[in-house]
Amino acid sequence: MMTESAPKEHQIRLIFPDAMEKTISVHEDELVLLAAFRKGIDLPSMCLQGWCLTCAGRVEGQGAWDQSAARRYFEEDRESGFILLCTAKARSDLVVRTHQREAMRDERDRQGLPAPRG
Amino acid sequence: MATKKHASDSVVKRADLTKRVGVEQIRARGVNVEHLLELLVDAAGAEFTTYYYYTILRMNLAGKEDYKEICEDARLEDRAHFELITPRIYELGGKLPSDIRVFADRAGCPDAFLPGYSGVTEKGVQTVEKIQQQSVKAADILEVLLEAERCAIRTWSEICDLTFGKDPRTYDMAARILNEEVEHEAWFIELLSMERDGVSRPSGHFRRGDPGDAPYSKNRGFYNP
Repeated sequence: MMTESAPKEHQIRLIFPDAMEKTISVHEDELVLLAAFRKGIDLPSMCLQGWCLTCAGRVEGQGAWDQSAARRYFEEDRESGFILLCTAKARSDLVVRTHQREAMRDERDRQGLPAPRG
Repeated sequence: MATKKHASDSVVKRADLTKRVGVEQIRARGVNVEHLLELLVDAAGAEFTTYYYYTILRMNLAGKEDYKEICEDARLEDRAHFELITPRIYELGGKLPSDIRVFADRAGCPDAFLPGYSGVTEKGVQTVEKIQQQSVKAADILEVLLEAERCAIRTWSEICDLTFGKDPRTYDMAARILNEEVEHEAWFIELLSMERDGVSRPSGHFRRGDPGDAPYSKNRGFYNP
């Protein structure tokens, strides 16, 4: 008999600007930002479509994530470690520095890529 | 002698034209004017690009005359929003980008592309022609319209939050726009729900008096036959 396996879970360690940290468990089919909201962690967000960069984080070290739900995400973003939490699904455990909107926008500027300014 | 609260222009000297009391007063109340301006320009970009893309989406709702009418209302009202935001940007000491390409690139919401088209990864004109030949499903277009409205609601809610109790002029404008975006969302939920799922989810609204009436952002009377 076939049994449906439960979606894999990954541990996401969130590091906030004040150096506080929280670790949450996230299913592979769950958006990281929504998982954080469910755990009562209030992270910045606006468009919720992977576009405006408000929810940007930066992955420290190695890690894998699916960003295919984002409306605008460049290979250069990934290479620089930036993750849009509103549309990201974890594919491994991750360490994420939160509140990285300005850093991501600056990196886009350096790469000559478009970004909202607000 | 007692001084009146908020009445002294200590920041803006007499006959100084380089500063605006209308800006300094909201700054004194805690508004980060520079950040607000960036958000307003991003939002204006989103309204403008949405107006443009809704034109294309409307054309591709060919044969669905009722949907076209509703799309037309949303399209014209988004243009009205752009025209409402722009004077406020200049009033606050900001400006629109000189190059429309810069303006579109910094829009705060995604491009409302025809379903199946991705401006980032595919070649434009050929792809659009191919999509049009295959005839886009109305439900897919309605979904694009719906998600565009949802992004606008999130944006204007944020601007309302930033200005509430501090910058009544921007707040009033943002609230008017938000009112219309909320109505647009309700329209597209109603249409998509029946078109895709066969489920009735009424918006609860009566029709606009004229196409793109924009009762909130143009301060018009509500349709009341």
